[in-house]
Amino acid sequence: MFGDVTSVALRVAMSGLAARQRATADNVANIATPGFLAGRVQFEDSLRDAVRSGDVGRIASSGSTTSRSLEPTREDGNNVNLDTESISGTDTVLRYQLLTQAVTDRMSLLRTAMRTS
Amino acid sequence: MTIFSAIGIAGTGATVHRKWLDAISDNIANINTARPSSEAAYQEKRVIAEAVDYGSGTGGVRVAGTALASSAEGRMVYEPDNALADAEGYVRYPDVDLGSQMSQMIMAQRGYQANLAVVDRARETYMAALRIGGGA
Amino acid sequence: MSVMGIEAVGARPVAATLPSLASLPTGAVGPLAGGAPAGPASGEDVASAFGAALTRGIASVEAAEKKADGLAVQAATGTLTDVHDYVIAANQAKLATELTVAVRNKAVEAFSEIMRLQA
Repeated sequence: MFGDVTSVALRVAMSGLAARQRATADNVANIATPGFLAGRVQFEDSLRDAVRSGDVGRIASSGSTTSRSLEPTREDGNNVNLDTESISGTDTVLRYQLLTQAVTDRMSLLRTAMRTS
Repeated sequence: MTIFSAIGIAGTGATVHRKWLDAISDNIANINTARPSSEAAYQEKRVIAEAVDYGSGTGGVRVAGTALASSAEGRMVYEPDNALADAEGYVRYPDVDLGSQMSQMIMAQRGYQANLAVVDRARETYMAALRIGGGA
Repeated sequence: MSVMGIEAVGARPVAATLPSLASLPTGAVGPLAGGAPAGPASGEDVASAFGAALTRGIASVEAAEKKADGLAVQAATGTLTDVHDYVIAANQAKLATELTVAVRNKAVEAFSEIMRLQA
């Protein structure tokens, strides 16, 4: 019931988005730290490849990777950009709400089918 | 790109306006930077904004580069007591107009706020879409 | 969500009461449209027509669910361009499911009722 491609993909995506939200918070907290490079979380590409392969095990294990951004830095070596972080934060929140909605919808479909009256 | 491309595009607009504000603050900070007459004066920095893939692609704006707006000669001011004065007592000051910088600053700020308002509206639109069929 | 049980168990003995179901207007109902025969044919025909209509309904529910699932996976991998596409597809799947489940439940209720009468 919950081990099909869609459920697992949704779960992996939500974990990835949560990791991205944490990275954004980390970046904003370190906006004045000299030498700090912004953290970026990627999970969409590996998830897309895993979904295309159709293998549920591969989807479940396609996690998220965090890397350091190589954008140009200011004089103190810090390259955190407040507008980028706030846009990324808004985008992550909206995507997360969409995926929560998707998971809820699927569960309510199952519940409807189980009703007997 | 963001899930609602309007948000990503407004983000690029906000970034460009912020860089404009950075350039303006640099100009205002250096408005009294004196240099010896043998060197060029401090020149006003401007940001060149360029539309991205206008009409066909992702949309938005980016900074294509910076340009120097005022002249390299600046204003020659007679200040014999200044440590940088040359033989005739002249020092070079930048030819930056404070009034123009202040009005540009207001435009940059308004542009930044307008782009953030777009992000807010786009987010509300998105939430309305998520609520389709809800309440049941 | 298999309704094969309705056809396999007792669809024949209760055929006498099914002509009344066949005359109900089902044209407005999406998944079951086209299932009602022209007039009360023999009891067996009506029973199998109802079973066929229900099977059609389930097929369309499966199609709607598959479409909503596909869009959900697109949303997860970040390739969904319009969020309302997913929300509308999800709502269509939900409505189709609720309709088919309601029809199935009513049919089972009617069947149980009639079995009680006969027993």
